[in-house]
Amino acid sequence: MIKVLLGFIAGVVVIALGGWMMMPSLMFTERASPYDLEETVARIQHNIQNAGNGWSLSGLRNPAKAVQTDGGNVLPVLMIEACSTQYSKPILKDDTVRFLSILMPCKISIYKKNDGKVYIGTMNAGLMGKMFGPMVGEVMGRVAADQKKFLTFDPNTPAPKMILPAPAGAAGGAASGGGGGC
Amino acid sequence: MNPETKQRLGKKHVINNFCTAVPSNYEFCTACHVGYGWKDNNFDFSAQDNVDCLVCHDTTGTYRKLPGLAGHPTYKDMEFPPHSGKIVKAPDLGQVARNVGKSSRANCGACHFYGGGGDAVKHGDLDSSMRDPSKYLDVHMAKDGLDFTCGTCHATSGHQVPGSRYAPTATDEKAGAHMRGKKDVNPSTCQACHGTRPHPASKTKLNDHTDRIACQTCHIPEFARGGIATKMSWDWSTAGKLDKDGKPIKLKDSAGRDAYDSKKGDFRYEANVIPEYVWFNGKVNYTLRDTRLDPSRIIRINHFEGSPDDGKSKVWPIKRFTGKQPYDTATNTLLIPHTFGDDDSSFWSNFNWDKALEAGMKAAGGSFSGQYGFVSTEMSWPITHMVAPKDDALTCQQCHGANGRLDKVPGLHIPGRDANPWLDRIGWGIALLTLLGVLAHGGARILMARRGNGGH
Repeated sequence: MIKVLLGFIAGVVVIALGGWMMMPSLMFTERASPYDLEETVARIQHNIQNAGNGWSLSGLRNPAKAVQTDGGNVLPVLMIEACSTQYSKPILKDDTVRFLSILMPCKISIYKKNDGKVYIGTMNAGLMGKMFGPMVGEVMGRVAADQKKFLTFDPNTPAPKMILPAPAGAAGGAASGGGGGC
Repeated sequence: MNPETKQRLGKKHVINNFCTAVPSNYEFCTACHVGYGWKDNNFDFSAQDNVDCLVCHDTTGTYRKLPGLAGHPTYKDMEFPPHSGKIVKAPDLGQVARNVGKSSRANCGACHFYGGGGDAVKHGDLDSSMRDPSKYLDVHMAKDGLDFTCGTCHATSGHQVPGSRYAPTATDEKAGAHMRGKKDVNPSTCQACHGTRPHPASKTKLNDHTDRIACQTCHIPEFARGGIATKMSWDWSTAGKLDKDGKPIKLKDSAGRDAYDSKKGDFRYEANVIPEYVWFNGKVNYTLRDTRLDPSRIIRINHFEGSPDDGKSKVWPIKRFTGKQPYDTATNTLLIPHTFGDDDSSFWSNFNWDKALEAGMKAAGGSFSGQYGFVSTEMSWPITHMVAPKDDALTCQQCHGANGRLDKVPGLHIPGRDANPWLDRIGWGIALLTLLGVLAHGGARILMARRGNGGH
């Protein structure tokens, strides 16, 4: 009996350890971009604008700017913020999951790393959503499907212009103020 | 004349892969020359009246020299760029002359920030963000810090400015701390102030790097960090495309920077650039107008010499600028196009390469077979400005870890990154034997204990 119990506990520990180690790559994804930083941002922004389903850009933040202001250096990071009221409305209406407003607006991070390449970081909205019940799971599943469209690039289209909304001058390195969406 | 390579260099003689060369384009290019009236081959470099004192010593900020005026300032209000509707005011020369002083960052930057045809184009570590930099960008020149001017390091003697990239100092082992002013020492090197063991006792291991690694390698982690992108490539072979009305075209990239210009071809810009790293011993060899090329290879406009074995080299950060530019396919030599001017042969007027190359080579005193092509070229620029705060220097891991910064530099053994497979096998073998020994010993003790003799 003790052997069975010990075996069970060992199994739980191994699975928990495996889950713990895999969690970052499950919750967040990172992929290399074929374009430079600004072109990657511009292409994603235009994909968002053309995605339908109520999506609109709500900001472009530059967290590296705040570090510079503080006298330090980090490689460039730009964070696209986008929102769709189609998806935010049902979550914001439900008191039991309203706290998920912390995930709004939807963010896509574009950054350079020390290998000189540009990367795109996203949250795995589909998997995250499944943890909060069927309604959120369905909404976030649709967000995840749209997110795939945001990151599908057509190399035959010329580089679009990066969209820089009017500066808000907010602390924390905002490169732009609020826009449409949420 | 470079005493080491015996090559005749300088604005008049070199050829690069930006605007290519000065001959035949004097009036345009010599806006960045401390002389008045250099408009052709006959300029008298020995005439003191031709020396422009004000461009370096104006403190009013109103003195300005525009391309196309052969190094003269604007003497009357003029529209610039032509047909732009923007009027550049002529400076009050009397007022400027009454307000001369020591050269500021703005004086030097008026040319050196804008080399290659625009802000940040050429160097990568010099652009208009260095006019009034914050501490994150340059610890020496920061307005709220040490507030150095260019002349603080490039301290002149008899108007000779040290620190030329034509004859750079790659290693400065003779310099000790506080050696500035000593005549045989270049005052613009890092070592001229910091010495050769600059790190404190608590970080003395870092001092073991200074004989092989230039200070700049760790302390300038990226260049073009001031928010202005530097030009990384220039392809002249695509220049000359016109729209359906026969008018020149200009296209912008996603960040709003020039991506194509009919006058110049295709460009690529980048900000926060990770440098490339090379061994460098201070000797630079240039491809000059009469140098024979192998057009099947990428032509090095300049070549930084150095190796891990010559005892004189350090690993330096560089900006590698690539491009395509015209060459004579019959003689395999680089060609000079006549670009600027209202005449019929200038490329920027008629977009005709045959005429532009013939006129350019004639003005340069060279020959042109009439056959041309475009050859791939690259040019190296030492990175030595935009020194980051010490907390932002490269971390150990950035070189000693896998896929480190110095992966492409030959002849370096970097602990942590490099391994001797046999040494590793021997080490692991010893570890395995130790483990087996422990297990055997432990097992034997358990066995003996069960047999009741106490394990000993």
